[in-house]
Amino acid sequence: MTSLGLGDNAHLFQANLEQRRRRSARFRRACSAFTWLGVGTLFVLLGQILYQGAAWLGWDFLTSFASRFPSRAGIFAALVGTLWLIVTTAAISIPVGVAAAIYLEEYAPRTRLTRFLELNISNLAGVPSIVYGLLGLAVFVRWLSLERSVISGALTMSVLILPVIVTAAREALRAVPPSLRDAALGVGATRWQCTWHHVIPQALPGILTGVILAISRVFGETAPLLVIGLPIFVSRTPSGLGDSFTVLPLQIYNWTQRPNHEFQNLAAAGIIVLLVVLLLTNLVAVVLRQRTETES
Amino acid sequence: MTDAAPGPTQPTEGRAGPDVQVEAAFTCRGLTLGYGDHVVVRDLDLEFPEKRITAIIGPSGCGKSTLVRTLNRMNDFIPSFTKAGTCLYRGVELYDPSLDPVLLRRQVGMVFQKPNPFPKTILQNVTWGPMINGYTGDLRELAVESLQKAALWGEVAARLDQPALSLSGGQQQRLCIARTLAMQPDVILMDEPCSSLDPVSTSRIEELMDSLRERYTIVIVTHNMQQAARISDLTAFLEGGDLVEFGDTDQIFTRPLYKRTEDYVTGRFG
Repeated sequence: MTSLGLGDNAHLFQANLEQRRRRSARFRRACSAFTWLGVGTLFVLLGQILYQGAAWLGWDFLTSFASRFPSRAGIFAALVGTLWLIVTTAAISIPVGVAAAIYLEEYAPRTRLTRFLELNISNLAGVPSIVYGLLGLAVFVRWLSLERSVISGALTMSVLILPVIVTAAREALRAVPPSLRDAALGVGATRWQCTWHHVIPQALPGILTGVILAISRVFGETAPLLVIGLPIFVSRTPSGLGDSFTVLPLQIYNWTQRPNHEFQNLAAAGIIVLLVVLLLTNLVAVVLRQRTETES
Repeated sequence: MTDAAPGPTQPTEGRAGPDVQVEAAFTCRGLTLGYGDHVVVRDLDLEFPEKRITAIIGPSGCGKSTLVRTLNRMNDFIPSFTKAGTCLYRGVELYDPSLDPVLLRRQVGMVFQKPNPFPKTILQNVTWGPMINGYTGDLRELAVESLQKAALWGEVAARLDQPALSLSGGQQQRLCIARTLAMQPDVILMDEPCSSLDPVSTSRIEELMDSLRERYTIVIVTHNMQQAARISDLTAFLEGGDLVEFGDTDQIFTRPLYKRTEDYVTGRFG
């Protein structure tokens, strides 16, 4: 037997290359199979929805209010309501979440209290959304008497997604190399100048990723808004933060509960609208993120 | 003015030692530094003279970096950092509440182990510090001057608006020096500035330091014995958190008083 190496113990290596190669190939095939299983299922579901709902889509569907008659029903109120909810929620949760993350990462002393806070923020991300709905109902709707309004919904949603934003923003801030902070502080920058000019721009792509994930969640959340008690039949769009409103997932949920078969198709059409709006929003965010990435 | 006699500044013996009367930029008395319960530098008495290059040498973990990062209070951001004893900068205690660390760092600049330019343009790297510190002169002029002093101007004159990260490691480190010089500091602290550079870049940095001699107080931490011997006026040897020996670089490297020093500088340890 000829050994491949030159050392004294070279003959002790049992390369077993054939089996290692087979295992490698099997692992690769398994990974690709699971990938296509996931993507395939998604496409089947999407295909089903498109097949069901495509025919019902149209300008009228987008611009009509809800109705008892399937042929006249539309999702205008829900679509506008969702956009109100998203914009308001983003306006509340992004500044609060990012500021909290900056405080915890850059300023907060490492005491038992801050560690306790940090642990709880991670845990909050795992609390079922319906619990936030109950909280919103008790605090915002009843106690603060904000009624079933845009601001109540947005505050509830903000509480729901804050843990996600805070956690993602903290990860992004922590990934900024300490040497960059050294550089800024070393030329006589204050903590604020260092954070604002260098740390935040460097962390911005990561922060935006967290924001995209969080906002995407707001699009789809139904349970908390159901608990708050948002109406389904809204005959006008909100014109202010105190106005009543409804959202796309709620409208879709309502339609799926109807016995009339045609409402099922309306629900499918509603889902298509929801997905398109979600995709468009994420597209904007991704473009924004890429621009901040190339700038730095 | 017409006196033909050589001035008193004429170097005859090469380097001035601690026996020569020079003002001290930093005076450490009984300085003890650590992290939590772990003591890194113990009961240190040391003076860093003005307008001299002082090298701090010693094996890894002897507290060199901790000491130099104390001199401009960069350790403030490490929560467990502890300090006892005194360290005066021009007669003022470094940790005196009346001393603003931001102002201190503006006067005591620092060049770090790994080149760490800002992810901005070359020009912005030099102008950012002066800008945020309210420099009222012409920022571009200041940048050009600083880049010239840092011996980098020739290489970047045509590409000031390009990203600093497109420069080579050695160029980035000289950019970091230019950034420090632009602040018009009194002192420049250098924490192993050449440890990540190739020999050519290292010799360029050393030439640069040589040109800054006389004008700035420089404290350099280095693992490179030859570097300490080549560029410094004074050398402090630390081991295990204790100052073993401090004196003229010539003396430390040719006639060390202690065996521990001799073993280290001749490469028998570390």
